[in-house]
Amino acid sequence: MSSQPDKNSQPEQANVSDDSIQQTHAQLLQTKPEKTGGYSFLPLGILGLMCTAVFFGSIYLAHNSVRFDPLVYSEAAKREKPGAVANVALTRAQLGKRVFSNVCIACHQVNGLGIPSVYPPLAGSEWALGNEERIIRIVLHGLNGPIEVKGSTYANVMAPLGEVLKDEQIANVISYVRSEWGNAASEVQPELVAKVRAATAERKTYWTAAELQQVGP
Amino acid sequence: MQVDASAKWPGLALFVSALIWLLLGGTLQLIAAIQLHTPTFLADCAWFTYGRIAPAAQNALIYGWGINAALGFGLWLMARLSATTLRHGGWLLVAIQFWNMGVTLGVLGILGGYSTSFELLEMPRFVTLILLVSYAMMGVWAVTTFSIRNTENVFASQWYLFGAAFWFPWLYAIAQLMLLKAPVRGVLQPVVNAWFVHGLYGLWFVPVALAAAYYFLPKILGKPIANYYLAPLAFWWLVIGTALAGGSRLIGAPVPVWIPTLGTVANFLLVVPVVIIGLNFFGTFSGRYSALAGSVTLRFILLSALAFIFASVLNLAFSLRGFVEIAQFTLLSELRDWVVLYACFSAAMFGAAYFILPRLTSGAWRFPALVKMHLGATLVGVALLTVALGVGGWQQGHLLNTPNVAFGEITQAMTFWFTLRTAGFAVLWFGHLAFAINFVGLLSPLCAWGKKAPADLGQGSSAEGHA
Amino acid sequence: MKNGLTLFLGIFATLALSWVGLLLTAHQQIGRLSQFKDPVDETLYPQPLSGLAVQGSMVYQDLGCVSCHTQQVRREGFGADLGRKWGQRGSYARDYIRDSVVLIGQNRLGPDLRNAGNLELHPYADADYFYRLLYAPQSVAPGTNMPAHAFLFEVHALAGRQPSTHAIKVPGRFGPGAGYEVVPTNRAHSLVAYLQSLKDSYDYPIERSRNASAEKPK
Repeated sequence: MSSQPDKNSQPEQANVSDDSIQQTHAQLLQTKPEKTGGYSFLPLGILGLMCTAVFFGSIYLAHNSVRFDPLVYSEAAKREKPGAVANVALTRAQLGKRVFSNVCIACHQVNGLGIPSVYPPLAGSEWALGNEERIIRIVLHGLNGPIEVKGSTYANVMAPLGEVLKDEQIANVISYVRSEWGNAASEVQPELVAKVRAATAERKTYWTAAELQQVGP
Repeated sequence: MQVDASAKWPGLALFVSALIWLLLGGTLQLIAAIQLHTPTFLADCAWFTYGRIAPAAQNALIYGWGINAALGFGLWLMARLSATTLRHGGWLLVAIQFWNMGVTLGVLGILGGYSTSFELLEMPRFVTLILLVSYAMMGVWAVTTFSIRNTENVFASQWYLFGAAFWFPWLYAIAQLMLLKAPVRGVLQPVVNAWFVHGLYGLWFVPVALAAAYYFLPKILGKPIANYYLAPLAFWWLVIGTALAGGSRLIGAPVPVWIPTLGTVANFLLVVPVVIIGLNFFGTFSGRYSALAGSVTLRFILLSALAFIFASVLNLAFSLRGFVEIAQFTLLSELRDWVVLYACFSAAMFGAAYFILPRLTSGAWRFPALVKMHLGATLVGVALLTVALGVGGWQQGHLLNTPNVAFGEITQAMTFWFTLRTAGFAVLWFGHLAFAINFVGLLSPLCAWGKKAPADLGQGSSAEGHA
Repeated sequence: MKNGLTLFLGIFATLALSWVGLLLTAHQQIGRLSQFKDPVDETLYPQPLSGLAVQGSMVYQDLGCVSCHTQQVRREGFGADLGRKWGQRGSYARDYIRDSVVLIGQNRLGPDLRNAGNLELHPYADADYFYRLLYAPQSVAPGTNMPAHAFLFEVHALAGRQPSTHAIKVPGRFGPGAGYEVVPTNRAHSLVAYLQSLKDSYDYPIERSRNASAEKPK
């Protein structure tokens, strides 16, 4: 083995010149391959492949581009034009969830259970589920404890939100509180909030539990 | 021989630069790979944190190794097929230095914290103009050599090289404009980025690899390309499809859904040119596989051709939503791009180098054992990485889609695959070192400046030797 | 294809076709996507980031966090992103117009971060959590291969002085030991501010209805 020069050290042998490569291939492009009797499968095969690819490609494009809608990111979305389908309107409770997450969650917590002995729960709370006018007042002007909720007493303060939130937002967040975590009470409408706001326009101080009891059950 | 002589210094400069970047980039890549399973490795220094080293390695390999090697091969081949000498090579040497300077600044910029965070465009903005200007100087050479050609006919390799020479700067310039100079808003940035990345792999690296295969197969086998009359169809279909397929990288992303769908459809259509090119290459090979034993170049080209087919299959798989749901964001998507860059493009460039370099230096490889080692290392490394990235990526994807598996557990499960990946990169790195040593051996007679005539130069001057 | 000019025109047309067909068209559609004004609270969403968070996004880019983390939540039915609490809904394009550099990412070597600061999903993710994550990732995420970014912090010897108000509490064996404190640098402050700003909690009604699945929910 050692007497033969190692093939790997020899420079690569070229078997044809560049010129002949150019010429041969140019000729191949110009002359068609000879027919050996009958038809040659290859061009037909390629043609068939092309047609299949284009056909399936077009179908896929039509099915998965959803009207080329710029706001659709899911190929599984409905293909009808948006005008034909009514936009899903969010319920008041769904709109209220966002207000709750921005404003109320810090104390009353995401699960509505508050913090024992510190912040009262809203889940199952008689104050949330009862007379709407009471809870609207709490949200508008705040509350100064003590207040008894579900058997426990909470001696804390809730800041007023009447200047921070609009009537519609207050209606939304109260509707959310009244329908979440197992609560099942009616929605609150912005008109009621407006009415209570007008009725208590003179109020400057926080409510107390006793005053609220007088408003109703 | 005049052609080779005229291409000697620019060609050597390009290949030397390419090899240096290959080793440097490979080292950075190795460090990054180690950090995946040993996160404490070099973690104390901000310059070596994974988020900086990984993009630095990628950019060094793509712009340092990739562009230099492709230009080294491309300019030589353009000159050969145009049957004209490479004029004014001195300016080319200047351009090469500027390109390397630009990439060096870019890689250092990434390590220093100036990364732009856009995939494959991480090099900081101050480098863009240097790179574009020096590329323009080099690209102009390819085009003018082509336009003053003495040959009547235009061969397939020339179509691909000519195309690649234009597509790269246009892609790069437009992407830089739309992402960095006058940034587009919001989610359009990933759309432009995906278009660029897909174009870089599919309209630069793949065409250069195909150009190599189209040339070396008939050259070494002495037989024309099989079914060559289909090659023009394959060329146009391939490049038009690839240009539109960028969106397939954005399946599931918050972009209008027609964009990934269009990319998917383009990828379906690419089956046709891949079949034709497969027929071209493997039809030419058929019956001549015995020639592999005598030719290193041919062995690398075969690897490159197989990798092209594999990469196209992966590309198609990555257009199917069911597959993407699992494979997205995992090692599998790294495999998809790595197969193109390494197993397809780099293998073709090694094959080309083994053919071209002895002709440029009128020498012969000093260490045949190192040639075998390089080949073996390439095969072993490719196998290791395919398994590590393929199987590992698949497992990673499944685990990611199982919500009750904590992320820490996923990382633990992946440690084996990360280690295998590091091993693969290490094996490849040693292969490159073997090649580099051989290259230095080839160059060293030149450094003797003709004081003594080296004994083995006799091979190169035989009459029927290198045509 | 003998003619160099024909070849050149074809090559140009290829790229021009894709630029027009893909990029230009996409730009026409979403290039001027603007904020959405909520009809109830009359706020524009997405809300812009605070200045400190914008600085933090630059630190995020500088350190290359995008190499390991994505910032795109995949929709319901495509992957388990929602099950992993990486978001409350799939991401929309409008979420990203507040980012001057969109860091959508391509790799999930680490978890998706689009809602990293969303306390509804991750109630434990306060500022302290992020500081500890950056200083010693193993202390809050066991088994992780995230590198420690200790260079974002300074370790001071207490030498009998009061500890700094900014010092972070690092559990036991991850800390520098007794008599030392770990204080975040400005880069750490801004990066954590950015991470805490990452939340997409607003559900745009138009996108919500347009992307509703064609199948009836079971």
